[in-house]
Amino acid sequence: MRILLINHIQNAQQSLKSNRLRSVLTMFGVMIGVASITTILSLGTGASKIVTDQVDALGGTIAVVRPGAPSQSPFEDVARMPNRQNFAASTLTDADLLSLQKLDHVQAAAPLMLLTGAVRADSIAPSNTPIVATTPDLAIVNSLEVREGQFLDDDLNPNTAVIGPQLSIDVFGTEESIGKGITIRGKLFTVIGVLERTNMPVNYNGVDFDTAIIINKNSGRILNQGIIQIQQINVRADSIANLDQVIINTNKILLKNHANEGDFTVLSGEKIAQPTNELFYAIAGVTTAIAAISLLVGGIGIMNIMLVSVAERTREIGIRKALGASNRDIVAQFLIESLALSIGGGIAGYLLGYLTAFAISSFLTFDPAFSWEIGAIALVLSIGIGTLFGLYPAFRAARKDPISALRQYD
Amino acid sequence: MAKQTLPVIVLKDLKKRFGIGDAEHFAIDGIDLTIRQGEFIAIMGPSGCGKTTLLNILGLLDSDIEGEYELDGKQVASLSSRRQARIRSQQIGFIFQSFNLINRLNVIENVALPLTYKGMSRLARLKKASSLLQNFHLGEREYYMPNQLSGGQTQRVAIARALVNDPAIILADEPTGNLDSRASHIIMEELSELHKRGNTIIMVTHNPNLTTYASRVIIMLDGRIDSDTQKLPKKRKPAAKKPLGKKKKDKAAA
Repeated sequence: MRILLINHIQNAQQSLKSNRLRSVLTMFGVMIGVASITTILSLGTGASKIVTDQVDALGGTIAVVRPGAPSQSPFEDVARMPNRQNFAASTLTDADLLSLQKLDHVQAAAPLMLLTGAVRADSIAPSNTPIVATTPDLAIVNSLEVREGQFLDDDLNPNTAVIGPQLSIDVFGTEESIGKGITIRGKLFTVIGVLERTNMPVNYNGVDFDTAIIINKNSGRILNQGIIQIQQINVRADSIANLDQVIINTNKILLKNHANEGDFTVLSGEKIAQPTNELFYAIAGVTTAIAAISLLVGGIGIMNIMLVSVAERTREIGIRKALGASNRDIVAQFLIESLALSIGGGIAGYLLGYLTAFAISSFLTFDPAFSWEIGAIALVLSIGIGTLFGLYPAFRAARKDPISALRQYD
Repeated sequence: MAKQTLPVIVLKDLKKRFGIGDAEHFAIDGIDLTIRQGEFIAIMGPSGCGKTTLLNILGLLDSDIEGEYELDGKQVASLSSRRQARIRSQQIGFIFQSFNLINRLNVIENVALPLTYKGMSRLARLKKASSLLQNFHLGEREYYMPNQLSGGQTQRVAIARALVNDPAIILADEPTGNLDSRASHIIMEELSELHKRGNTIIMVTHNPNLTTYASRVIIMLDGRIDSDTQKLPKKRKPAAKKPLGKKKKDKAAA
């Protein structure tokens, strides 16, 4: 049986070789499909991995409170793109922040209030510049490093701001911008600090601090018509061991504050990255589905060429049957041929997919991720395609009547 | 035949029907036939008398028949298509008028092809095919493609292929139909050589001259057997050519 299988493989090799150009072109179809799926999955996984890595980098002592009940499926997040906080009034209040700060084992808790609006100095900042209103604790909670100057301080004039290095370059043309004036929604602020570059455009705060401007919570309230709008509270426990306790207490106190309504979500560890991850996975899933269409086209290509091959080799099938091939042998011969085409295309596509992913990632801030799952998906897909689209031609070949097959012209 | 050997093939009231309704006709219309081991049978008859159909049935290529066909004591109708394929692979060798080599395979691969379905390894296959081709004086042509050979050579390759799995029965459908008389002669010498070594040969032919090689001549007409003549073994002049085919004994002697 084993030898018979080897014989079939040698057979397939022979016949694919004798039609080299045709075989290669057919493989191309599958290759393109698998390549696009590999590219999308590796980039998607890479993107969601960066958020997880950031959470890990903070030492695992961070918990994040977000308004709204936990989402049930990743597609909810997709539907709420790009940033649900932009549209819904937050359920988190100043009182929540105060009670969190008072909890045991909480080293610090800082709110994030995200505003939009015009930011300008010597030149106009990009229109989507994030304006973050927060408390000085944010530096502790998020381990933000100040490159020059200082971070926010309650003792200072409220009309002071800390800006990201990229924003500084955008509006002042230099990273040296301490003491300069910057206008937010027509109100003048003085730059007192420039942040260290983080190079993390995607993170769990939903803010790229490199391009952000950070102001005091109260200044934010004034800019926002006197209303506090907290989109996220970052809580840092004093040690990893105490984080669980902090999360439990956070849930308790917030439930109490919110009259037992679970209209908030407390996330920690990997789950902080989850909404972002799920978003990426959902996007990757949708694009993969689209890429799968090209795989389907590749599969149809295989089926097409296998049918041609069966028709061309009708006489050969007759000869083989007369010489003792059973129907099963004929099915095996043609099925192995189509599998060879699809697996060959799959392997080439996997390699091409990673090449493309690396080429694309040179324009992005993250690298494609390697994982055995992507390889397995590529392999399973190509085997599946080869079998699915190879079966019909193979059975058609096996069903040929040897006598009439022998009468066919070569 | 002087001594009676075991019957290999027994046909009882064999019929083969083509078409349905008005177009229905019997290509084979009730044949009773017993073929014994070691016979060399020539089947003759006009075109369309059912010779080739009979041969296809005997070779298990056509199992849609009425009546009884017993091969080696087993009813063919009771065998699964898989079993039939195995019998074709192990007991039957086919020789066709149009050679039917696979054009994209070279000579040695063509000869080795039937062994594939016996589950032999590639090396063993090629070795066996190679030694057989040596016997057929085609050793130097092993890696030629079929279209680089003459008609006679091609048919010898086809015979080598039919013999490679040591079949007990050889079915030849007009093996010399596409050959000139010299090549025909060589091919017929090959077949009679095989016959001497005890193979059962059933040959369909148009050419009455070829019946001199046979031990029994059957003439068919309209799907029936018209005449069935046993011939006494004729004493022939020793072949001018060195005998071809498998000859283990000769080899051992030399």
